[in-house]
This record gives sequence, C-alpha cells and structure tokens, in this order.
Amino acid sequence: MKNIIELKGIETIYEGERIPVIKNIDFSVKQNEFVSIIGPNGSGKTTLLETINGLLEYTSGKGFVFGKEIKKNKNKIRRNIGYVIQNFELDPRAPFLCKDIVMSGRTGKIGTFRFTSKKDWEIVWESMSLVGMIDFANRPIGKLSGGEFQKILIARALAQQPNLLLLDEPFSNLDFSSRRQIEILLNRIHEKEKITIVMVSHDLSFVPAGCNRIVVLDKGQIIMDDKKEKILKSEIIDSIFKNKGETN
Amino acid sequence: MIEIPLALFLTSVIGAILAGFSCSTMGVFVVRMNLSSIGFCMSHAAFAGAAFGLMVSIDPMIGAIIFSFATAFVLGPLSEKARLESNVVIGFLFSFMIALAFIFLNLIPGQAASAKALRILWGSILSVTTDDVLLLFLLSALIIIFIVLFYKELLSVMFHRKLAESSGINTKFFYFTILFFTGIAVSFSLRIVGGLLVYALIINPTSTAYQFFYDFKKIMILSPVVGIIGCIVGYYLSLMSDFPIGASIVIVSALFFAVAIVVSPKRRKKNGKK
Repeated sequence: MKNIIELKGIETIYEGERIPVIKNIDFSVKQNEFVSIIGPNGSGKTTLLETINGLLEYTSGKGFVFGKEIKKNKNKIRRNIGYVIQNFELDPRAPFLCKDIVMSGRTGKIGTFRFTSKKDWEIVWESMSLVGMIDFANRPIGKLSGGEFQKILIARALAQQPNLLLLDEPFSNLDFSSRRQIEILLNRIHEKEKITIVMVSHDLSFVPAGCNRIVVLDKGQIIMDDKKEKILKSEIIDSIFKNKGETN
Repeated sequence: MIEIPLALFLTSVIGAILAGFSCSTMGVFVVRMNLSSIGFCMSHAAFAGAAFGLMVSIDPMIGAIIFSFATAFVLGPLSEKARLESNVVIGFLFSFMIALAFIFLNLIPGQAASAKALRILWGSILSVTTDDVLLLFLLSALIIIFIVLFYKELLSVMFHRKLAESSGINTKFFYFTILFFTGIAVSFSLRIVGGLLVYALIINPTSTAYQFFYDFKKIMILSPVVGIIGCIVGYYLSLMSDFPIGASIVIVSALFFAVAIVVSPKRRKKNGKK
C-alpha cells in the first residue's frame, strides 16, 4: 500500500526562534490508516499537523504528501487535505450560515474563476447529512453549541472530498456526550468513506475505536509508534502524561 | 433650498451614490476584519498628501491620491512583514501620516495654504469633478468584478483566514486586495464627504445591515443599498437645510443605524416580543 504521508528527518523551527518545535521526525502514513498522534500539551502535535499540510514550513528534512514534496506543492496538496483546526473561538455574531461554511471547504477544490455548481451543493448536503447536521444548513454558525460547531467543521473538511483528514484536538472543549458523538462520527467516516485520518489529541481516553495506530510525541520527538493496543498498555505513556500533569 | 446648476447637480449626486456604494461595500469586509480605523488612517494619508502637494506646488488632490494609494498599497504587506495585527499597523501609519502632514504644512509659507490642505478633511460635494466621478465609477466596477469573481474565496477568508489557507486559497492576495480597495475607496470619496466623515460611510451602512442578517451574502447586498440611500437622502437634506454634505450623509446613516437597532429581527424573542 502506498504512503499518503512520508516525512524524513523533519525539523520545524518557528520564525525568529532557534529551538525546533519538532525534530528528527520520521513518520509515514499509509492509505486508509487511522492514526492518532498523542502527547502532552506543548509536545509539538499541532506543529506536526501544520507541517504536513504546509501551513508551517519545515526547516530541514524532506516531506511528501500524496507523493509530492510539501514545500513545492503546498496549495495543490491542501486541496486534498481536510483540516479541522484546534480550539476555534467563534464570534457568536459571525455573519455566516452553516451551509456556506461547509461550502467554503470546497473553495480550493473548485478552483479560481469558477463558480459553485449544483454538484458542489450536492456534495455539501451529503457532507452535512453524514455528520447529522443537514437540518442546521440555514442556521447562523455562531448560534451552534460546541459539539454542533465541531461537526460543521468536520462536514466542511469532508465537503472538500479529501484523501487525507487532519484533525487537531477534535474533542477539546466538548462535553462527554458530544465527544462520544464525534468519536462515533469519525469511526463511521473512516469506515464508510475510506479516508486516511491523522488525528491529534492530548486525551488518551478518547482514541477512537477505528484508530489502529498511535504515535506518541514528546518534546518535539516521536518516542513511540505502534499498534493502539500496545501503546495503551505501555508504562511509558503513564509516565509521560503524569509528569506533565495530564490525568486523562 | 439651495439651487445649483443641473450639470453640477448630476455630477455631485452620481459622485455621492458611487462613494456610498464603494465605501459601504468595502465596509462589509472592514467591519468583519475589525479594521474600522482604516478610515482615519487613509484620510490622514490624504491630508499629508494634500499638504505635500501644496508644498511642491501641485494640485493638493493629486498629492492626496498619491499618498492614499501608497498607504493602501503598503498596509497589508507591512502588517504581514512586521507580524503585527493590521490595526496596529494602521495606528502606526495614521500617526506617521499626521507627523508628515505637520512637517509639510510647516514648510508651506502662509496660513491660506494650510487651510487648503485642511479642506481635504472636510470635503465639499460642489468641488466634485467629472474626473472624480469617472474614477469612482471605475473603482465601483472593479469592486463588483472582484466580489463576483472571488465571492467564494472572500467568504472563506472572512470566516477564518487559516482555514481558508488550509483549503488551498492564497489568502494573502485577497487580504491585501481588500485593504487596497478600501484605501482607494476612501481616498476617492474624500472630496465628497471629507476625510473625517468618510469613516462613517464605511462603518454605518454595514453596521445597519448587520442588524438584519446573519447571512454574509445578504449583508453584502444590503450594506451598499443602505450606503447609497444614505448618500442620496443626506444629499437632499444638505440641499434643503444648507448643512455640510458630509455631515448630512453621516447624520442620515447614523439615523438608519439607530432605527435598525430598534427594529432588528435579531433582538426579537421567539414569541414576537422584543
């Protein structure tokens, strides 16, 4: 099976800083895998995700997504990556309807100088149905609850018809029932749509059932990369999270 | 009521309508991006340009347009390069332009010249020329083409710049173009409402439209409609009462905003009570 993501010796340093946030990253993801990257806060999880979709530029190493070098093909690559951002603080007065936000996910895919077609709207309705939010199409985005909003962001990413889905802390700021709903949704998307998913989380208790591999990140480096069952039983995990005060 | 020649009446009315359209359309983006102070910045850039024009003995309006263009052009790239919020860079440019204006004014001998430069801050509809109207017309046409062609990209950038970028949109281009068009809309409207009041032409119609809808597309349509009506009614008020045109337009658009707050469906409770 071919690799969707291939990172070799990747190091990312923020502009104006000297210390790399992530370093010596060798990481590959095969098609249709569901990978969870876990690690305490500040371990470089978001940096790794944003390096994969080119929002952050790596300072050394080589990175490929869909077989294309990330640095040279940022915009092309991003059109096939659905991204759900972390801790999105939404203005409750934001003047946008849910359907328009979901459609905005398709903007890059549709391309410049092209208008949205009937087919694009059909894809939007399908994505909204898949996350169970079709009845919210004409609702203002700022009036949604945290869980509903997260589902709309996932629908937005799905409307892109991505080959790869990058999810940054999809369970953060959600109550238990919303977390459970999103977890079921992710498992369903993975099974039904056959999309490769890379998810970042600091919460060990919410690694979705469909996830078959866990990568543990600490202090900017990958320290473990194995099957979910093995990682969850590991004693190192406990020590990493307890040392950081994370008791999830 | 003031009587003015028909040609001048038509030029000034069309000028007011186009200024109302361009400023209030760009206002939708400005309000969303929280950059309302761009009006102050551009008007003072124009003021500095007018003072510069007088200093080097050229038409102060040409100086005003050159300075506004330059400011509009550097605003986006400068905030990007400095890694600062656009509002901070607007504040920097605003104070820098005032400083330049004072220096230029200091170098112009005589009080009369300073008064000429200050006129740019007050504006006068009767000084509007056919060239001004043509420029505003061209700008309005460009704004319409820009919005129609790139509506989906603009909506995406307005919702969340990083998310837009993550789906493959060149957000920098759209961000800079919005700032640029806004700066130009302000500088072209200066002769009509004046630098100090052009701010209201950007903010008031959009704020009014925001009272009625949560739908960005509807706000995009209503804001210029309110802007144009405000300019026409303000113009009529000015002719009837001999009030300054800029002030009249602002008073009318402020009244629209006040009424919108009162009748806003957003504040209506489900049982119909407010």
